[in-house]
This record gives sequence, structure tokens and C-alpha cells, in this order.
Amino acid sequence: MAQALVDLLRDNFKEAVLSSHSHRGDEVAVVRRESVQEICRFLKDGEARMQLLRYIACVDLLTYDTEMTGGGALASNEVPAYDLAKKAPREPRFQLGYNVYSVVRKQSVRLRVELRSDDVKVPTVTSVWRTADWWERYLFDMFGIDFIGHPNLKRILMYPEFQGHPLRKDYPTRKRQPLVAELEFPDLIRGPGPGPGGAGVPMSQTHVGRKNVDPTTYD
Amino acid sequence: MADGRLPILRPEGNVPESPRLHPGAGEEAAVPVLLTRREDATSWFESKVSGALGWARANSLFQYPFVTACCGMEYMSVMCGRYDLARFGAEFPRFTPRQADLLMIVGTINVKQSPVLLRVYEQMCEPKWVMAFGVCASSGGFYDNYATVQGADRVIPVDVYVPGCPPRPEQVLDGLKILQEKIQTQRHVLHSVERSPEMREDKKRSFLGKLLAK
Repeated sequence: MAQALVDLLRDNFKEAVLSSHSHRGDEVAVVRRESVQEICRFLKDGEARMQLLRYIACVDLLTYDTEMTGGGALASNEVPAYDLAKKAPREPRFQLGYNVYSVVRKQSVRLRVELRSDDVKVPTVTSVWRTADWWERYLFDMFGIDFIGHPNLKRILMYPEFQGHPLRKDYPTRKRQPLVAELEFPDLIRGPGPGPGGAGVPMSQTHVGRKNVDPTTYD
Repeated sequence: MADGRLPILRPEGNVPESPRLHPGAGEEAAVPVLLTRREDATSWFESKVSGALGWARANSLFQYPFVTACCGMEYMSVMCGRYDLARFGAEFPRFTPRQADLLMIVGTINVKQSPVLLRVYEQMCEPKWVMAFGVCASSGGFYDNYATVQGADRVIPVDVYVPGCPPRPEQVLDGLKILQEKIQTQRHVLHSVERSPEMREDKKRSFLGKLLAK
């Protein structure tokens, strides 16, 4: 059904589409990393009309076809389930899956990008779908994928002091990190210092994370 | 007890045991030695005051539910008609920690959230008690992972642990009664304000003043 979409991609991007297959009814196109942005733009604005980016997923294939070396799931706090120093990782290690859907056509297609562990970078698609913003921050947080050109690439679930990327397969399963102090933020009612609610700004004009707007002209 | 005196209770439980919060609290909590009749009489009066205060405090627990996860449904159940925590004197949930004296940690505490929990605990007035509601708050539960604090007692001192995932309402009632027993047997004083150094050196104080300032 969605085979037509993959054929459309193949016709328009002969170089960029490396291969394609169907997995249990889902059409998958493996594409080149460098052209993921223009393919996404084509899928959204072209006749495919893929307005909806459902989600971006990432798979760490480090232990996909290997035995667990050292440690294991419950061994200790520090020993990783897979010791990268002892054994080179399987390449390409990471797979990104862009799952896009067309509300009009009622069809979906998945773009797959494969990344090697020594170069975990991919262009951002936030300029195509705005929802990609948080998905890419999530993948940066959990897997350490570097999305080139992302406007605000920082952790979204974990706190800033957190070390490492917890969903990577070489993250030690039982590793614990120390408790952290409270984040500082300006006191909205009395507090001195910069920021909304600070010196001289009345409470009626304060909006958290927003510019000060006169309530009488705000609509 | 052998000489017929009432036992002198150590000021424990209410004093946070974590050295990180109150350094040196453990060393000062020594049992005083009774020497004179006046001190003996004072101690008897204190124990009566302590018992009365303990009775009052145990049976009028105002709780602050710090609900973070699915245990909240069980908390609602235990507060509602069939189980009705109000029968045991824990009638009012107060949704500000400044008016509460029982902090119920209902649900999972993760590392990102632990400073919030600590701040809520520090905003509560003394005396205050903490109940860990469910296994997540007690020990982390099955969230044995990178993000979850393995028990709320890594952040603040906890008085009663109620296991269960989620706990049955009967377990919560049981935990509340255990906490009430603990409160009843704790040492309570009328006046627990820390005195300034000048006041400590003041010798001219009335009997009642000395009594209240114990």
C-alpha cells in the first residue's frame, strides 16, 4: 500500500535511498544520513503529504547479536553490561527511525538512518516538523545522538548534572548518580535579582518563561 | 523503672537522624541523670505534659500528600468513605506543607524531584513526621534504575514505611496506627524553641519559665 511512497522516494532520491524493505506491513526506507533533511522536506511538502511526525526512535544495536561480556544485568554498580574497551562495537551501532504519517493518505512510512559509533551525528529535522524538537532532545538525552543544527539541544528528561546517556547499552545497569541540589530560579513574589517578578516588576505583569505583556493589551 | 520512676524518653524520632540535615544531633541526645527532688518532680510533670501533647498530636495529624504516582489512587481510596482515614484522627489533607505535620510520600521519587521533596519537608513546621506510602517511596520498588531514588529516606528521614504496590488501604491504616503509637511514646515539650546564648546564661528565671524552657 505504502509501497508507492517508497517508490516515489526512490525515483526522486536515487542516491540517497540506500535500500528499502517491508517489515510486517511497515514500509522502511534506509536513507543516507546527509540527505535526511531534504527527504523529510520532500515527504512533508510534496505529494506524499506527510504532515505528522509520529516519533523518532533510536536503537542501540551494541549487544544485538553478541553475548553479554563482563558484568551482566545485576553484576555491580560500575561494570557495564558491555565493555567497549574489550570488544569493538557492532557497526553501524545506532539506528534512527523517523516514523511519519499522512493524515490525508492514511499511510505511514519509516525512514531509517544508520549511524556509526565514532560519528553519532545527524542533521536536525526541526525545520520540517516542529515536533521533532522534543524528540531529538529526548534522543540526545537518552542516547547521545548529536542533532546538527538543533536550536536547543539539551537534556529533556534527565537533569543537567547527569553524566552519560542511560539508554545506551554500555551504560552500567545499576549505576547510581548522586543527588543534586535544587535549581535556582528567581523568586516570583519577592525575590531580588533579574528575571520576572524581580525588582520593580509588578506581579500582574509577570509570566513565567514569557516576556512581560501588558494585561490590558494582551489578547 | 525498677525504682518506680517513669522512664525518661530520649528525644528521638522527631529529631531527624540524617547527619546531613542536622549535624551533631545524635551526640546531644543523652539521657539526663536525676539527682534532686525538684528535678524529679519536674520530670514527672514533663512526662505528663509529654503524654498529653503526644495524645493530642497523634490524634490530630494534618497530612500533606506528596502524590507523585499511581499510589495516589490508593490514597484517595483510603481517604474516602469505605476506609476513611478520618476515623483515626488524620482528617485533613492540607495542601500546603506549612500547615501539615505528616508528610505522606505517595509514589516514586526520582533524582530530579528529590530537591523538591526536601524543600517541602523543610517548609513543614516542627514537629513533623513522614510516612513512605508504597514500595517506591520506601525502597525504590521495582524502579531499580538510573533515575529513581532508592527510597525517600535517602533524601529526608522517614518514620513509617508502608510497603505494597500499591498498599492496601488496611496497610495504610495500620501504618498510621503504628505512627500514632510512635508519636504517643515520643518526648514532647511545650517549648522547643532554640534559645539564644544570652537566654541560656540568664540565671534569673521563674520556676515555670525554667519548666517551659526545657
